[in-house]
Amino acid sequence: MTALNRRGFMKLASASGAVLAAGAADIRPALAGTIKLSQSGRSFSPTTGKERQAIPTACWQCVTRDSMIGYVEDGRVVKLDGHPESIRTRGVICAKGQAGINTVYFPDRILYPLRRVGARGEHKWKRISWDEALDEIAGRMKPLLDAGTPEKLMYHYGRNKASQSKVNGDFLGAFGTKTIGNHTSICEGGKWTAQELMWGGHYDNWDFDNTDFVLVFGSNTLNTHTNHIPVAQRLIDAHVGRGVPMYVFDVRLTDTAAHADEWIPINVGKDGLVALAMCNVIMSEGRYKRDLFKFMKVTADRNASVDEKIAAVKAGVAAFTPEMAEKDSMVPADKIRELARAFARAKSGVVVSYRGTIAHQDGADQERAMMLLAAITNNVNSPGGRCQGVGAGWKSPKSKAGQKTGGKVKALNINDGFPGQVAYPTHHVNHQVLKMIKDGRAGRPEVYIWSCYNPVYVNGEVEENKAIMKDESLMPFTVSINIVYDESSALADIILPDVTYLERWDWEDMVSPTQVAEYYFRQPLIKPLGESRDTGDIWVGLAQRLGIKLAWSSKEDFVRQSCNMTPGVKEAGGFEYMKKRGIWHDKNAKPDYMGFMSKIPASALKKDGVIFDQATGVYWNWKKAKAQSADEAMKVGYQNTPGAYKAYVGQEIDGEVYRGFKPDKVNKSGFLEFYSELLKAKGIPAFPTFTPIAEHTAMAPDELHLTTYKVAVHTHSRTSHCKWLSEIYHDNPGWMNPKTAAERGLVDGDRIRVRSKHGEITTHVKVTEGIIPGIIAISYHVGREFSGRYGSGKADPIPGTMADDPDFKNKWWDRHGVHPNVLIANAPDRMTGQQRWMDEVVRVEKA
Amino acid sequence: MKRIDKLRISRRQMLGATATAAAGAAAAAAPLSEARAATAAAPRWSMVMDMRRCIGCSACTVACKAENNVSLGRFRTVVQRKMTGTFPNVKKINLPIICNHCEGSAKDGADDGVPPCVSVCPEYPGERLTYVSPTTGKKIRYRGGATYRRPDGLILIDVAKCIGCGKCLDGCPYGVRSFDPFVQAGAKPEEQTADKCTFCVHLIDNGQDPACVTTCQGKARIFGDLNDPDSPVSKLVREHNLSSPGNVLLPEKGTAPQVYYIDPEGVLKTAYREREKGKLDHYMEYLDA
Amino acid sequence: MAIARKDMAETAAARSAIYGFLATVFRAEPSAAFLARLAGDEFAGAFASLEGSLSDQLIATDRDRLAEDLAVEYTRLFIGPGPHISPHESVNIDMGNALEASFWGTQTVKVKKFIEATGLEYAEAFTDMPDHISVEFEFMQTLAAKEQEAWAEGNAEYATNLLAIERRFFDEHLDRWVPRFCDKVIAEADLDFYRAMAELTKQVLAFERQNLATETAESQTHA
Repeated sequence: MTALNRRGFMKLASASGAVLAAGAADIRPALAGTIKLSQSGRSFSPTTGKERQAIPTACWQCVTRDSMIGYVEDGRVVKLDGHPESIRTRGVICAKGQAGINTVYFPDRILYPLRRVGARGEHKWKRISWDEALDEIAGRMKPLLDAGTPEKLMYHYGRNKASQSKVNGDFLGAFGTKTIGNHTSICEGGKWTAQELMWGGHYDNWDFDNTDFVLVFGSNTLNTHTNHIPVAQRLIDAHVGRGVPMYVFDVRLTDTAAHADEWIPINVGKDGLVALAMCNVIMSEGRYKRDLFKFMKVTADRNASVDEKIAAVKAGVAAFTPEMAEKDSMVPADKIRELARAFARAKSGVVVSYRGTIAHQDGADQERAMMLLAAITNNVNSPGGRCQGVGAGWKSPKSKAGQKTGGKVKALNINDGFPGQVAYPTHHVNHQVLKMIKDGRAGRPEVYIWSCYNPVYVNGEVEENKAIMKDESLMPFTVSINIVYDESSALADIILPDVTYLERWDWEDMVSPTQVAEYYFRQPLIKPLGESRDTGDIWVGLAQRLGIKLAWSSKEDFVRQSCNMTPGVKEAGGFEYMKKRGIWHDKNAKPDYMGFMSKIPASALKKDGVIFDQATGVYWNWKKAKAQSADEAMKVGYQNTPGAYKAYVGQEIDGEVYRGFKPDKVNKSGFLEFYSELLKAKGIPAFPTFTPIAEHTAMAPDELHLTTYKVAVHTHSRTSHCKWLSEIYHDNPGWMNPKTAAERGLVDGDRIRVRSKHGEITTHVKVTEGIIPGIIAISYHVGREFSGRYGSGKADPIPGTMADDPDFKNKWWDRHGVHPNVLIANAPDRMTGQQRWMDEVVRVEKA
Repeated sequence: MKRIDKLRISRRQMLGATATAAAGAAAAAAPLSEARAATAAAPRWSMVMDMRRCIGCSACTVACKAENNVSLGRFRTVVQRKMTGTFPNVKKINLPIICNHCEGSAKDGADDGVPPCVSVCPEYPGERLTYVSPTTGKKIRYRGGATYRRPDGLILIDVAKCIGCGKCLDGCPYGVRSFDPFVQAGAKPEEQTADKCTFCVHLIDNGQDPACVTTCQGKARIFGDLNDPDSPVSKLVREHNLSSPGNVLLPEKGTAPQVYYIDPEGVLKTAYREREKGKLDHYMEYLDA
Repeated sequence: MAIARKDMAETAAARSAIYGFLATVFRAEPSAAFLARLAGDEFAGAFASLEGSLSDQLIATDRDRLAEDLAVEYTRLFIGPGPHISPHESVNIDMGNALEASFWGTQTVKVKKFIEATGLEYAEAFTDMPDHISVEFEFMQTLAAKEQEAWAEGNAEYATNLLAIERRFFDEHLDRWVPRFCDKVIAEADLDFYRAMAELTKQVLAFERQNLATETAESQTHA
């Protein structure tokens, strides 16, 4: 092209002017208003002073969801800190939280709706408008309403909590679908179900502030707990500040194990066995505390006396001697005795357990063993013990359900695993969803929308997941709501730009470590970047197109209404108060220790519809349970009436009626149930036991256990685009004990090939004394195919050398890890549906 | 004497407030003898690291990146990790490290009070500056430089005077300095400026704690004024006898560090990975875990 | 003198038109109608006289199809997913600190404050970053239009000051990054259109570098 001279410039101007004049609507102006210059612009000077605001909001990098203060300077988020008034966090946040800014301002962020124009996985996209996107999606949803099959809309989320969860459920219910997937089975669903079968509610919070002894099984509590910030600081305070003894059972020397009085290496999947052996010591040596036995159910006889119960527990754990446990677990019998005695002797104590304990076949039974250990030492819902978590009880607006389907809300039966696979999938079996879609017998979603979820990457059998999501005959229309292009959105038909958590409204309710509920709040620190939009507002757009009336006009409105209708928050000043302070708790509230012992007033038993169930000793309300009649309810009984748990009133024990351990998801009694009629009914041992894991007993001598784990600076799949986190953690060598390495001729740093029945990965080995022999441990955050340039390290899914952001020049790491889930079966625990992450066996050789 | 704690702005008070942010670090420094004599008149900033409480979570590292916009490839603070022992008797130690804000101590018997990074700076001693003590309001004169020591003990860098020669990077026995690839050395723009921890001078001058301290979950980092006998750091120094030589890094270098370690198990020396000559690998935080 | 002022006004009008055109080109994917107008005699003629290679493709191709292809090209080049040529000043400047030179960095704030200091504000419906290339062009378009108006009204002092602001914005912002941005587009574009537009943009900026300097000097004689 030749250089412009004045003549050419004027000619081009004239032509440009003509082009513009003919099409005034070509462009929506970016700028509004008119030029107004003081003194005719004589002393024009752009302002340079900085305006800094401090705005209360809440984190969302991980499920802990700490309340925070966001600092905004000139419309940019510049720093995040803990909210100093939080009783949960006491004003601190973690590394992930500190890196929250990276999620807003990273160069690979998705900021516009995109439609796929090539084949799935071809990475060819076109930016479209929100109207086009919503029209297309609504156009796919409308026929489902017309055909009376709203359940063929499936919405699948990874971490929807609090107001997000409510907003999504509200819209989807109004549409008529309950085909809503989650991801709890790949987290700790099995732990929750086990607790529901015993305790009623779920989520064990450990009263570190008051405890006298800490036992940790399979949990890196100091670094990676789901309620990390509230619990980690209290555990270290207890241990260092008050000298509380702490013992950690783990296959690896985690940071938690490293801080303990002692790290007790234990074989994979044997936590429950050791807990039962500790119970054995405590029972056989008469070191138990009698207090809780009255409220425990340990045999089929609900009227058993405390002495009978003690005898039954003794008998139930008799087989699990310390010597027997030592053989399988590698924990010395003497150590088991020593710790059992010390634990029983302590005034109070907590038994911590997590994924290392429960992500196994019958892992839920291991959790039951943990609870038994806590119960016989009177450490359940007691000061310094294992307490049921308390979160905020928000109210929120509700829209009419099933508006176009005559009030009906239906679900495809694909969330709970294949028929007969799982006994009590109370937190669903969502790592089986893609397999069930492939199978097709339970139906397939016509429209599959997901957000805050990465089905390809986060589940096992990654390659199969990919194949299914690529197959348009299995999944005809897929929509990803996301902030970053990842392994799953790469296979979507439409990508919608999600807001980050620093750009949206929510109320929050995560468990408080003090047993006093904290009500807190998230508000946008800045206007959402680009055209990103909150999922709640996406629903509003779809509802308008489908003629569905919602009880709220936007996500902000939903949160506003919730604040203004929730007792406590409302009186404090509702939405406006929360915008200003971000946080509220009842200053007069006290922890509800030993609440199960409170008696139910006689008046409550005389209420209309309340009946007594002989079999369980439960008082319940047949009307509330929606049974047909009192007679029918009596005949079918509490345990067999669907949803009867919702109508629980109290538990009769020795002629008195107690609040007991109120059921939440299953029709258990009000006892702390160690003898479970519900499990028995499914052919599973009623009393906690230890059942060897088939994969482990069948291991060949050259096979190794594979375990996976988390590190402190990443979530599973949603932080690798954060440059400050990936700089610190981007590679995940396989940990191996020197003995195990030597057997394979491996030295530290060697390239290795890891093979299972399901796949193969190549990585390098970290030979370390901090792990037991016979296993390889690989973390699961990295090895990203796509997750922005800092996550995947890939120049690009699309060829070419595009511009980088300036700091990218300083990226110094070139390893980006491997993904162990490629090796692991999508296999649910038979009791609960928990994904059995820790049961896989592999062979490792030099690559 | 006005207590520094009274001057600290509660983060609560900042809620909902819109304030004009303070300008960068106030220029600092004065004739050495005066500064030394006047130490009691000024705070003596110090950090105590409680090794029992560091859980290795890296929140401090990232908070620092965020607060100070530290580019990739370098750090202003890191946590070193070290595993020792043989299975199953294995220990892991987390060791937070940061600029020691050395006081500089006896060299050839003379109390020169100039830490090695300052003494090697070709621009030091430079212009005469005045520091106004936030505790006493006293004016203290001191000497500036591209790297210099302020009367409250902070070792700071004056980007405008830096020539990017790198002598201070080499001169620091702890290797906590790096070049900032984004910032030109003010006095020699073709070079990058030296950079390091300032104890978040912009925050402490406004009565707040450094970012790494504010976010520390285990309360493993404690910051304060050693000239205030009631400050948490003074109490910890007394309680744990931290002024004995074993509680700082590389005491044999005679640098008089103002970062002290609570180390009841005596593992500080074992855990600390020293810099290798000409390298800064020890000061990169990444976990091959 | 009046004639010279008329010249100044004409130049300002021309500048406004050209920046307006460039703002349109980079704001979003072109419509088929827009492409058709480009293929029209006047624009194609002006372009051909610069020995640009735009018109052949515009005339030869099915324009609806071309618009579709260019939408995909626009997405790939300027939006993503995946690395792309970020059309924002803050990502393309090569100085300042890590905060300045990053996506929605403090350089973005500088652009925003510059624009807002003139009394303009960002439209509520505008959804891109404040330092998007098209905003910078639109800002120049608006300034130049105001300058032309001032000349026409005989308010030479105001016009002169506006011109000074245009020059300052050009020097401190546009010219610091757009030429390099254009080079990247030229290297990466698959279709002729964005390559041609990037070439044109570079030529416009090269002319302006001289022109604004001359004009500013010239304007002093009127003020």
